[in-house]
Amino acid sequence: MPRVTLETLPDYARFLLAAAESAATQFPVQRTVRLPGLELIAHLDPGALADALGQAFIEAGGDPRDSRQCHVFIGHPGVGDMPVPASWGDAHFTEHGFAQKLAEAGLRGHHYHDLDFWQVYDPDRRIGVQLMRSPDAFPPWEQGTPLRAFLHWEYAARGMRLAHAGTLGFDGKGVLLAGAGGAGKSGTVVAGLLNGLDSVGDDYVLIDLSGGVTARPLFSILKQDPQGFARLGLGRRLGTDGPLNWQGKHAFHINEIASRPVRSSLDISALMVPHVSGGKTSSIAPISRKDALIALAPSGIAQMPGERESGFRFFSDLTRLLPCYRLYLGTQPEEIAGTIADFLARAPR
Amino acid sequence: MFTGVVQGSGNDTTGAAAGWNRSGVSDMPLSDVYAVASKDIVFESFDGEAVVLDLSNGKYFGFSDSGSKVWQALVSGVGTEALIRSAAGAARIDVAALECFIGQLVEFALLAPSGATPLPSSDDLPAALAAAREPLNVSVHDDLADLITVDPIHEVEEPLGWPAVKQVS
Repeated sequence: MPRVTLETLPDYARFLLAAAESAATQFPVQRTVRLPGLELIAHLDPGALADALGQAFIEAGGDPRDSRQCHVFIGHPGVGDMPVPASWGDAHFTEHGFAQKLAEAGLRGHHYHDLDFWQVYDPDRRIGVQLMRSPDAFPPWEQGTPLRAFLHWEYAARGMRLAHAGTLGFDGKGVLLAGAGGAGKSGTVVAGLLNGLDSVGDDYVLIDLSGGVTARPLFSILKQDPQGFARLGLGRRLGTDGPLNWQGKHAFHINEIASRPVRSSLDISALMVPHVSGGKTSSIAPISRKDALIALAPSGIAQMPGERESGFRFFSDLTRLLPCYRLYLGTQPEEIAGTIADFLARAPR
Repeated sequence: MFTGVVQGSGNDTTGAAAGWNRSGVSDMPLSDVYAVASKDIVFESFDGEAVVLDLSNGKYFGFSDSGSKVWQALVSGVGTEALIRSAAGAARIDVAALECFIGQLVEFALLAPSGATPLPSSDDLPAALAAAREPLNVSVHDDLADLITVDPIHEVEEPLGWPAVKQVS
């Protein structure tokens, strides 16, 4: 079994890209996903990941000629001459050191040790490879947000960013909901969707800062833990028989609860940090941009491998462009949605 | 998210009131001038409040209003003597608190002694420090930081959705 060290990492990354391209004609399935400004073409086996690629995204409309193509080869040793994935060979490993070493070679990458799972991307050529031990040897979150890391690297190369944030909006105007896991983002998004608001995502959305702050949809999956699922009345609407995901949560699609088709974008007019207050009614109060950034940036940067400094600068710019608030959440979904709807109605366009 | 505040010693001129200074940090002699400790230390300012990120480990640091002004002065190359003189009229900042605060920034590897020539403080720094409403402090936000270890063991943490490296005891 080969072992990769920080010293040999760039060579190994290039080796994986070359191996995938050599085997390009031997991947049985090709899936094309149309996303904002991007045609993502995945080459892989039939199975769970291919199914996920067909279900996990909110596909963009518009003229595909305006999109760039990127190719990601999702392989394992059963495809052509794809190699057995190597293990990490250095005693010392840091995410930042790993990313820095690849960045010096013009590449991006991530390694998940438990599965010898590798993701490598060449942003200049827009070609990536995801190498696994076997067709189903991928981390469990890949089915909900497949190829998230590649999207992060591709959009970051264009000055955009995947933000770990939820969204709610109305009539094209929206708010960005930021905070670590458990802060109340997803519950707030579902509360809004169930009560007539729009959303372009509850977990990861694409943010563009050219011409204001614009949020665009990528992934269609929403998640709720069983308590939130029951509190929001989702069991009556969606049933409770479905299997829970790897986090023990119910997973469902945004179009199963949204009252309208998902918009192609929202013009974001505020950054809100939800807080489960325990009070009966919701309220909105200003917070400092410093506190808003610290709510927004850490999880967005920690969950996306590489591009740390550019992410910090990007989220800092975003925070400066928006008024920032803490959203004290009440207990009733309809009341929470009404509070946000009232805020949006007063927000300048 | 929020994981702790380290505060300067306020009016305690001995510095003994600050719990962390028993580590000996506050007893270290101050350098004449400081600089950002490495290229991995990046920072931004929001309405006068600074946020620092250590890229190497993913830790965030936020400052009080007085702390932000002191941080900005130090990373601009203002000498410690000039800074102490500038803080002389500030009700919420005394020398011991300033020494503790700088020592903490060094301990966090945000600042390091520099061989550069100390710069004078700006004309408006004394008034800015006097107008500060909060004592010197730095808050550390490290719950999503990388944990660095040898022989890494990875685990999936639900809020992250991405593997974190678990500290090996």
